[in-house]
Amino acid sequence: MQLVLLTFLPLVGALLVLLTPKGAEKAQRAIALITTLAVAALGIVLYAGYEPGFDVSRYLIEVPWFTLPSSYDAPTLVYFRLGLDGLSILMVTLTALLMPVVILSTWGHVEKRVKEFMVWMLVMQTGMLGTFLALDLVLFYFFWEISLIPLYFLVGIWGGERRLYATVKFFLYTLAGSLIMMIAIIAILYERGTSNVYDLVNQLCREPVEQQLWYFAAFALAFGIKVPILPFHTWLPDAHTEAPTSGSVVLAGVLLKMGTYGLLRFCIHMLPGAAVAAQPVMMALGAIGIVYGALLAWAQTDLKRLIACSSVSHLGYVVLGLFALTPAGLSGGMLQMVNHGISTGLLFLLVGMIYERRHTRALEQFGGIATVMPVFALFWVFTVLSSVGLPGLNGFVGEYLILLGSFQSAPLWSVIGLSGVIFGAVYLLMATRKVLFGSVTIPANRTLADLNGREIALMLPLVALAIWIGVRPTDFTRKAEPGLALVSQRVLEAQQVRTASLTNESPLTEGVAAR
Amino acid sequence: MNPQSLQTYFDGAAFVALSPLIVIALGLLLLLLSSVLPVGRSVSNLLMLGTLLGSAALHARILASEQVPGLVVGRSYAADHTSAIWGILFVLGTLIAWLYSLRYYEDERAFQTEHDVLMLATPLGMMLMAGAHDLIVFFIGLELLSIPLYALAAFRRSRTKSVEAGLKYFLLGAFGAAFFLYGSALIYTTTGSISLDAFADDARRSAILGEPLALAGIALVAASVFFKISAFPFHLWVPDVYEGSPTPVTALMATGTKAAAFAFLMNAAVILPHSAANSVALIALLTMAAGNFAALVQTDVKRMLAYSGIAHAGTLLLAVAGSLAGDPKAGAALEASLFYMGAYVATAGGAFGLLALLERDGEHTTTLDGLRGLGQRRPVIAAALTLFMLSLGGIPATGGFLGKYLVFSVAVRADMTIYAALGVLLSVVALGYYLRVVIAMWMQSQPEGSPSVDSKPVALAATFASAVCAALVLWMGILPRWFLDTM
Repeated sequence: MQLVLLTFLPLVGALLVLLTPKGAEKAQRAIALITTLAVAALGIVLYAGYEPGFDVSRYLIEVPWFTLPSSYDAPTLVYFRLGLDGLSILMVTLTALLMPVVILSTWGHVEKRVKEFMVWMLVMQTGMLGTFLALDLVLFYFFWEISLIPLYFLVGIWGGERRLYATVKFFLYTLAGSLIMMIAIIAILYERGTSNVYDLVNQLCREPVEQQLWYFAAFALAFGIKVPILPFHTWLPDAHTEAPTSGSVVLAGVLLKMGTYGLLRFCIHMLPGAAVAAQPVMMALGAIGIVYGALLAWAQTDLKRLIACSSVSHLGYVVLGLFALTPAGLSGGMLQMVNHGISTGLLFLLVGMIYERRHTRALEQFGGIATVMPVFALFWVFTVLSSVGLPGLNGFVGEYLILLGSFQSAPLWSVIGLSGVIFGAVYLLMATRKVLFGSVTIPANRTLADLNGREIALMLPLVALAIWIGVRPTDFTRKAEPGLALVSQRVLEAQQVRTASLTNESPLTEGVAAR
Repeated sequence: MNPQSLQTYFDGAAFVALSPLIVIALGLLLLLLSSVLPVGRSVSNLLMLGTLLGSAALHARILASEQVPGLVVGRSYAADHTSAIWGILFVLGTLIAWLYSLRYYEDERAFQTEHDVLMLATPLGMMLMAGAHDLIVFFIGLELLSIPLYALAAFRRSRTKSVEAGLKYFLLGAFGAAFFLYGSALIYTTTGSISLDAFADDARRSAILGEPLALAGIALVAASVFFKISAFPFHLWVPDVYEGSPTPVTALMATGTKAAAFAFLMNAAVILPHSAANSVALIALLTMAAGNFAALVQTDVKRMLAYSGIAHAGTLLLAVAGSLAGDPKAGAALEASLFYMGAYVATAGGAFGLLALLERDGEHTTTLDGLRGLGQRRPVIAAALTLFMLSLGGIPATGGFLGKYLVFSVAVRADMTIYAALGVLLSVVALGYYLRVVIAMWMQSQPEGSPSVDSKPVALAATFASAVCAALVLWMGILPRWFLDTM
């Protein structure tokens, strides 16, 4: 029941906002903030109460929903099935915690059509939480696609100058991937006669690898576009740059994680044979993404676009870590998903704050900001250090685990990924130098006001989390580890099957049968 | 025919089977009478409403009963659960179109009763088409549907475009009808029968399909049906006719006519050879491509929706192809088509209806520019139109999504995964233009200097119709179980 409450509370909030009169902006903001705070509180309670050994059925909600034809006599019964497990706990908590921050950040930059904005934000939260909690393939797809629509409106209405181009590109790109995934879901449902994710995890790993690879390709395409993995990344800089600050934060913080989460739960856990077979390709794409994203970011002159490109690079780490398919790589990838949400979320918030003051994001328009806005400079430097992976802060732990994990399975890609750490430091520190240090050359910058209480307050929780993860990462990985262990075990079995089949040169199916 | 044999033809089962049609026929006569008697508009409105609801109720009775009448009147008309669902759909489509038409002609002193009579005749034709088990019954249904529509298309006589639409529709429709008759004549020549029974068993079927003359006949019949569902390459009449016709009539054509032709196609698919599956799938994809790509460049929303309707016909044709190719789930293609068409009737009916509503209010709405800023001016209407656009695009939580899912399932099950994959990619193209409507309404502001519209209060009937459509779309999208189980 908690999960239903968690998922649909934002939707209730959205309906409440809809009922308010058009001009009542204070009430609308208040309802949105209170709703997200309530969800965050609920998220914290769930997180604290979640013990790693918990059976998923503790929180499981299962209601028959409708039926679809299957290859068996009985039709497939699709369930409304929500559950919390090691793969989703961190993502759910991150989503719950990030949203009040996002809502609070809109005080500064959303002035027109507040009502619609809050409605879409809250609807989006329901979509995201549902995506992470769904344990039924059809339900997952439902939430997955529904969460597209709010962002489409957020970018399209409140975005920058090229917002229409950016939002349509984002929508169509993602939709194309999703629909190919839908074809795979249709095939799986028909073949297997169930849409229960856990049942499918048990059944699909026994399919021959060729079959798995078809499914894998369809799923990986959808998730890869969302993450985004090279070469499907071109929508991201546009969407990020044009989105309002809060939209960017949600996009970077949570929406992109839906892609990496999907890779973990479906591509790796559900289709381990295919994941093992596709490992070299995926690791290569991840590692190249790290370097390519970093180089892209280096070349940017727009601060927000720079951070958007750095997202491509950082998510390359996540992909590299997940597809290392080692325990260290998996938990590193998982942790990095959270880290990226925190660090990049903070960076977008900071860029938004300075944009609200100067209405420009061009790097050459700044310089010497540290003397005018010392508090801003403090937060900026902290965030950059967390993002580049300074030991003691969150980024370090994640990157270290990922590089360690990937070194165990493919040293080459690990080394290439490592070089990305250096590039990452280069472009972020260069941007920091250009913005913060030197002398103030542009007169308009002399009179900038420093951060106000609200702006500081909304960032503090994220800062605290960054430090906490950096100092005691096990508080977080501990919750996810048993779930990830199940994944590693599946992968291990698949690897053994593959080795056996390669050495015997027998067809893969026999290898499976022999087990 | 002596009275004796008439009695054997028209037994109790036939009466039950035809009762929904008889009610409409009676209602038609009464409605005609009411126009010459000194009774008010409200009486004839009530009559219209009562007739439609009564017919729907009788269909529902067939649907609910365990024992369906089956084939009646000399095995020429089938009344079963499927035809009952189609019947309810036709009534729904007509009802939606009629509710929106109530205030539409207000300024033109139109012949409202005549309009209503013509409109009421169409579901009769549709029901005959859907239940037809022989080619002549289908033809009668087709004409009973088409002739009122020719008149309705040209109903705004003062507008050149409307007259043009009527004429175009009539000329091409006449060709289509002639094709059909000629085709059935050829089939009759070889089989000696006009009944679909001739194709019932496989042995006779393959014998017939070996005859070149019969094949030519089947091709002509298929061409005629494809004309009605607006499949490629018989789709070119659609945009002009849809654009020119009064918008409520367009709603009726888009939903009812198409559904009726599909209903027959699902029945009559037995006359197509299995080997036609690939060609039908190809036609389906070409139809989708033709509709979607042409819709992308339209600036008039009515025209855009016309092309979108073509694309939807293509999608549904994929289900026909799938069932021809041997979908292992017998009947699933029919279920998918029923669901898809049901969602489409509610969605397209609502969308065209809202356009009619806005048009009446004097907005220049049938263009994209006219819709700009509608979200600010009239948020509820814009929200409903957005819902319909998303449903047409097949986004989850709307009926359109599950319809699309079911139709593509048929293709995937029949090992036509490549066609299905191409089909979904074409439906991404479709989102390109549905989103343009959404963009215009919510993300662009009203152009400077355009006259501000004093929006009249929205008519009660139209509000009701929109609410029903929106509720249906959401219901089918979120809690589809009842629909899936009933179908």
